[in-house]
Parts: sequence; C-alpha cells; structure tokens
Amino acid sequence: MVLKDVLSKEAKPAFMLGNEAIVRGALEADVKVVAFYPGAPTSEVLDTFSAAIGEFDYQMEITSNEKVALEVTAGAAFSGVRSLTAMKSVGTNVASDILFVLGYTGVRGGLVIVMADDPHAHSSQSEEDGRFFAPNAYIPMLEPASPQEAKDMTKRAFEISEKHRVPVIIRTVTRVNHQSGIVQLNKFVRKDFKKVKWKDLAEEYTTLGEVARQKKLKMLKRTKAISEEFETSEFNVITKADSDIGIITSSVSYLHALEALKILGLQNKVSVLKLGTTFPLPKKLIQGFIKNLKKVIIVEELSPYLEKEVYVLSKNINPNLKIFGKLSGTFSEAWEYNPDIVTTGIALATGSKKPNYKTLSQKAKKLKENLPDRYPTFCAGCPHRATFVALNQALKIQVSKGQNHYFANDIGCYSMWIYPPISRSDSSLCMGAGVGVANGLSHVIEERVVTIIGDSTFFHAGIPAIVNAVHNQNKFTVFILDNSVTAMTGQQFNPSTEFTAGGRKGKKVLIENICKAIGVEFVEVVDSYDVKNNVEIFRKALDFDGLAVVVSRRECALYGDRVKRRQGTPIVPFYVDKTMCKKPYVCLRTFYCPAYELDKDKQPRISLELCDGCSVCSKLCPFHSIKRAGVKT
Amino acid sequence: MSLNVFICGVGGQGLVLLTRVIGDACARSGKKIVTGEMYGLSQRSGAVSVHMRIGENVYSPLIPLGKADIMIALEAIESLRYIEYLKKDGVILMNKRIMHPPIETSKIVTSKNKIEYFTLDQVVARLKKWTSNIAIIDALKLAKQSGNARTENTVFLGCLSALEVFPVEEKQVKQSIADAVPKKTVEMNLKAFDLGRKNAYDSLCKKVACREKPN
Repeated sequence: MVLKDVLSKEAKPAFMLGNEAIVRGALEADVKVVAFYPGAPTSEVLDTFSAAIGEFDYQMEITSNEKVALEVTAGAAFSGVRSLTAMKSVGTNVASDILFVLGYTGVRGGLVIVMADDPHAHSSQSEEDGRFFAPNAYIPMLEPASPQEAKDMTKRAFEISEKHRVPVIIRTVTRVNHQSGIVQLNKFVRKDFKKVKWKDLAEEYTTLGEVARQKKLKMLKRTKAISEEFETSEFNVITKADSDIGIITSSVSYLHALEALKILGLQNKVSVLKLGTTFPLPKKLIQGFIKNLKKVIIVEELSPYLEKEVYVLSKNINPNLKIFGKLSGTFSEAWEYNPDIVTTGIALATGSKKPNYKTLSQKAKKLKENLPDRYPTFCAGCPHRATFVALNQALKIQVSKGQNHYFANDIGCYSMWIYPPISRSDSSLCMGAGVGVANGLSHVIEERVVTIIGDSTFFHAGIPAIVNAVHNQNKFTVFILDNSVTAMTGQQFNPSTEFTAGGRKGKKVLIENICKAIGVEFVEVVDSYDVKNNVEIFRKALDFDGLAVVVSRRECALYGDRVKRRQGTPIVPFYVDKTMCKKPYVCLRTFYCPAYELDKDKQPRISLELCDGCSVCSKLCPFHSIKRAGVKT
Repeated sequence: MSLNVFICGVGGQGLVLLTRVIGDACARSGKKIVTGEMYGLSQRSGAVSVHMRIGENVYSPLIPLGKADIMIALEAIESLRYIEYLKKDGVILMNKRIMHPPIETSKIVTSKNKIEYFTLDQVVARLKKWTSNIAIIDALKLAKQSGNARTENTVFLGCLSALEVFPVEEKQVKQSIADAVPKKTVEMNLKAFDLGRKNAYDSLCKKVACREKPN
C-alpha cells in the first residue's frame, strides 16, 4: 500500500512514514545512487529503496558500514550524479572521517545525508546529539518536523547541495523518522540513467596541508553565503502574536510546542519561530524575532544547541532577554520530549497553569503495580538463543574446571543478552567494540575473554580488531553469530548472503574464509541449533591457547519464516506431551522462549501460534516430551 | 473534531499494519491523521505502541497524557502499561489474550516464593478503576474463525470501525485492507474485519455510541 504510494506517479495525498517520505522526496528529485548500512530509526529508508528498485533505474548498495555508504554516494556525487545515504547518528560517527573531508572538497552532484538522532536511546547505545557534526564539518543542515517536511526538505537539499557544491544533512529524530502523516505527492519525471565520462567533468577532490588551508577559506565563504540564503528559507516560519513572549524551536519539538500552546490556551498568544535550517543559522532572522521580546523559550531535544546560539545573538541586540531552556533548568538535556514535558516547561516559563499530570501519573502507577515487564527478547526459533544455551553450558563447565570469563557483548539482536532473564554481559558498547576491547583485556585480566559479534557487525567493524588480535598474538575467543541477515534492523541482506538490495544477486562472503586468510589458527563452523555437539566445540575454543573463532551459523528465524511463508513451506510447531513431561522445567529454565507458557497446572505448554518449529527445545528435554504437533508417535 | 486512539500490543501482532490501514483509509477520505510509532527493539516480543491522532487541530505525533479517546490493546496486560494516556471513561477495546513474557514464566518456575501469572481478571479489575467502557474481545478466536490466526489486528479494526466517533466509512477501510495485506489473505482479513465489527455490537455498543449496524 505504502510502496504503491511511494511509486505513484499521481499528485495526491498519501499516508506515509517519515522515512518513506524521504524516499519519495529523493525519487521526485531524480536520485540516481543510494547506499546504506541499516540502522534504526532510518532503516525504512533503505527498505523502501530496496523494495522500489525494480521500478526505477537508481543504483543501490547495502554497504558494509556507514563510512563506505557515504563514500559510495560521494563518489557518485563527484561525477555529478544525485545521491543519498541515510544513517543513525552513531553511524555518522563511523562515517565522520569522510564527512569532514567532504566539507573541504565539496561535491558536484547533489549529495544528501539523512542523519537520525535517537533521543531516549530507543534503539541506540547513546542519546547522541548529531547536530554538532554540521557546524564542525561546515556542512549545511535542515531539520524536518513532519513527514511532509521530510519530503520537501529532501528535494530542496539536492538543490542546495548542487548550488553550493556541498553535501547537505537532513537531521531527523526518531519521532520524525517514525512519525506518519499525510504527505502531498507531486508528479515527477525521471531522466534515464546514463554513465558519464570523467574526463568531461574532471576536477580535483583533494585536501591536505596547503590545499586544505586554501579550501578552509573557501569553506568559510561558502557557509556565509548559505547563511544569507537561509535568512529567507521557506523552512523557517514565524507565527507572530501580539506578545513579548516567544518560542524558538525546531524538529518535532515544534509540533510538541504547538500542542502545548493549545493545551495551555496560549495559541496566538505567544510568537513562535520554527527553524528548519539549523546550520548555518539565519542569524538576522533570529535577532529580528528576539529583538522586542522579554522572554524567549527554547524548545529543542538533547543539547542546548539552539539555546547557546540565542545567548550569543541576544548579547548586543537584547541583553535583558530572559532565556528559558536547559541552561535555566526549564527543560532537561535528558531523554525524548513529548507534549507533557513541553507543556510543563512552557507553563513554567510563562507562569501558566498546567494540567495535573502528577495525579494522573500517580493513579496510573498504582494500577501498574507488579505488572510483568516485557523486555525485547529473542524470537521463537532464534538461532542466537540456541547458541547461548550451548555457550552457557560450556562456560559453566569451564568455570567448574577453574576457567573464569569476561563476557563482551556487541551490537545486534544478541545485545538482548543484557536483558532479564538472561542478564549476562560484562560490556556492550558499539559496533565491533567487543572484539576491540577483548584485545586490551586479554593483556590485563586473568580470566579468559569471550566476545560475541554478529555477521553484519563483523563485516562492519569487527575485521580490523580480529586482524589486530592475530598480528599481536592475543589470546581470546570470538563467537561469530552468523544469521545471514542484519536481523536487528529488519533482516536486511549483508555480505553473508548471496543477495543484495532488492533481492538481487550478490556475492556471498564467507566469514570463516576471512578468518583463515587472516591467520586465525582455530576456526570452527557449527550449526547454531546443534546445541549438544556445540558445547564441546565451544569448550575447545575456550581452552585454545591463542585466538579462537567459532562461527555459529543458522539463518534468522523471522527471515526464515518469511521465506517459508512466501514459498508455501509449512511451519510445523511442537507441543508438550503432558503424559511424558515430569515438569523439571529444563525448557523454561534454560530456554526463555516466548512461545512457552504455563497452563493452570503449571504444566509447560507451547503456543502453536508462536512456535516456529525450530526443534531446539525438544532436544533439551530430558524426558523427550516435546514433540512435533500432528506427528504420531 | 479530533480523535485520539492509543494502540498497544506485543511485537509481531501487526500494530504497524493496523496503523497503515487506518492511515491509508484516512488519506483516501480526505481526513487528517498523524501517528507516532514506538517500536525500537520491540519486534522481538517486546512492548509496541502507536499514538494515532485523527482530525483537525492536532499537532504532536504523540497523544498528551489523559487525552486518548480510545485504547486498543492487542494484548491484555499491555492496556495497563499505558493507561495514563486514556482519558477518564475512555473506551478500551482489549484482547482477551495474554502473552506472558518469558521473564514472568521464568520467575514462576525459579522463584522460591509462590508466584502466579497476572490474570485477565486482575487486568480488568484494575482497568475498571479508570473506565467502565471496556470491551473484551476474543480476537484470536475470531481470527481463527476467519481462517488466519494472524488477523487479530484486523478484528480490532472491525471493532473500531463500529464506533460512531471513528470518522472513516467501512467501505474505505475495507478498500485499504484489501490494498495492504498479502493478496492471498485479503478474503480472510475482510472476514476478520466483519467478525470484529459484529463483535463490537455485542460487546460494546450497548454502552458506547456506534454506527448503524450492518445487515
């Protein structure tokens, strides 16, 4: 349905996710090359381009990491072709090396970088404020508040990029990427994809030493010119009220602020400046807005990025201006905002009466006493669960033999090992860092260092740390959990499969071949579901006097189930034979599968709707009471 | 006029599809709609929720506390997790189904103390302290009746569309369902929709204003 709207040639209103609106904007702008490494909350940008690939002539890559993605799109943009990448802001950390350079070299074709922050760390390791990349790299930045604006800004960003020959960042937050709304689609015509001749375009994209010094001057000049242009940008909107109180805001905070004004009965009683161009800032516009105000309230999530600018800009023009924001304690730098937080802040700054949220929350809290928590967990059939059952057993045996462990987790579905009821990880940091810190730890601690990493994370940032371990002869054990896809972000293809964007053919890269070629002396490949045999192999890897790598392989259950459904292959679930079960609860104690629950007699039962038929639990039961449903015994 | 609908459930229950269908139906009938979808890591049997706001004079994609007119809980326990969003005497359309999180089950078998599952009766007793407009729907049963156990979400769509405050015509919603679900499940989904709508007349419409009952 939505894909149909993304593809539609009609001019009409459609209901779209922010991420889909970005894709639609890029298609309307005739984007020709796109490249991504998936990362929530931007993954649907990749997914939508991947699904639409058969209808258009753009080139698309699912790259091994965000730095490569930005380099792919930069290469295309050097050749005068419009290109786009999207990444979460922690992905921008990885891509930042090339990002800073592109500020100097610039580009020829339009290059748009969608960068998503994740206030509240819904699906990230930190609440990073990526906005600071823009001033630091001298790269212009636009911030949409809604899906409609996400589409409009994406289109405009290509034009700005080409006019000023610089990449443009579209900075979003989760609440924009995962906000849906009505988007007005425009008609569009796409030109045919044609290769160009480099010799017709040839210009240099170098920067170093004296070249860099000269380019820095040009970069400053460029930024000033863009700043002038942003003074009249359609994305900066002032709603004037007859009042000496004003609000300056951007991104989704703008929408929360409008909601708050409605709740407080202050609509049309407070002036509002909504900023869409947040680097370089339209300084004159801001100064004009604050000039005659007594109070200004800054509503922005995370750091006081706009707020500090307002302090600077008010210094000469309105030194008595009272500024309410994070520095005044009106708002917090922590966590995502919502209408209630913003209402409370604006009420505080304006001296208005706010709704009694406290009573409401207290009453609700009472109703929630002892409510069971619901942490994200491994899906029914997840191969990671099977790997962990075997690994847990292996570690326990090793402990009984005197070998203790440091357990380094990493970023992927297996991160959920940190949540109850499993709750076991000594560290869980950022992409590939498990193997990285294992190198350092192995020098210093007495325990054996054990680290896990997924297939996609291995390709993304794991390889250099493993090369380092081989070269320096560091001794630890790496479990590479290869489930064929980048499961956490929605089962995107990666080098571990023979498919790439849009299900097209790609070349499969075998992890064990890489490890052997690097010079790892212990490399074993196992089937994740084969728990019993794996315990012994895992123990050998833990005992190995050197760097040991075990590749535990089995495709992601969600991905596998989807393939089965498409092919019409039945999923045959299991059931517990009550006559044989003696309730030792081995299944429940070791397996934590969401398909399991207890019936009234405390008898384990398997939900036929949830069971994926993976069979792993059936092999663990000491009484062989777990059987395939429908199979006669 | 605006209508705030808070939708919650467990990852994998099809909340996102449900949202898409309603959104598409709104787009087709010229209604404004904005939603905020909360699903972080929750595809993995975690808690999922969607803030849905239909109509004019609505700004934030998130519903302010105490301002949801309707709550749809695709799983019973989840209704309590977000109860502060529901207005006083708001309407709850709740699944009879409880999906016990692995951590709850694991506590029962490992704890030395006697722990019992959180029950549907407990959920309802607590909800009644907030509102009396509660419809408990055996959505899994109705979904199975439609021929596809995975259509619980569509059952709820049927219930919702029976309510007078829901501003989109049944015909539009059905058109959007037919466009959104896989081709081979269209018929089953439309049946699930009808079963859900019919169920609302039995379970809720005595208390809450509903549209005219279809023949």
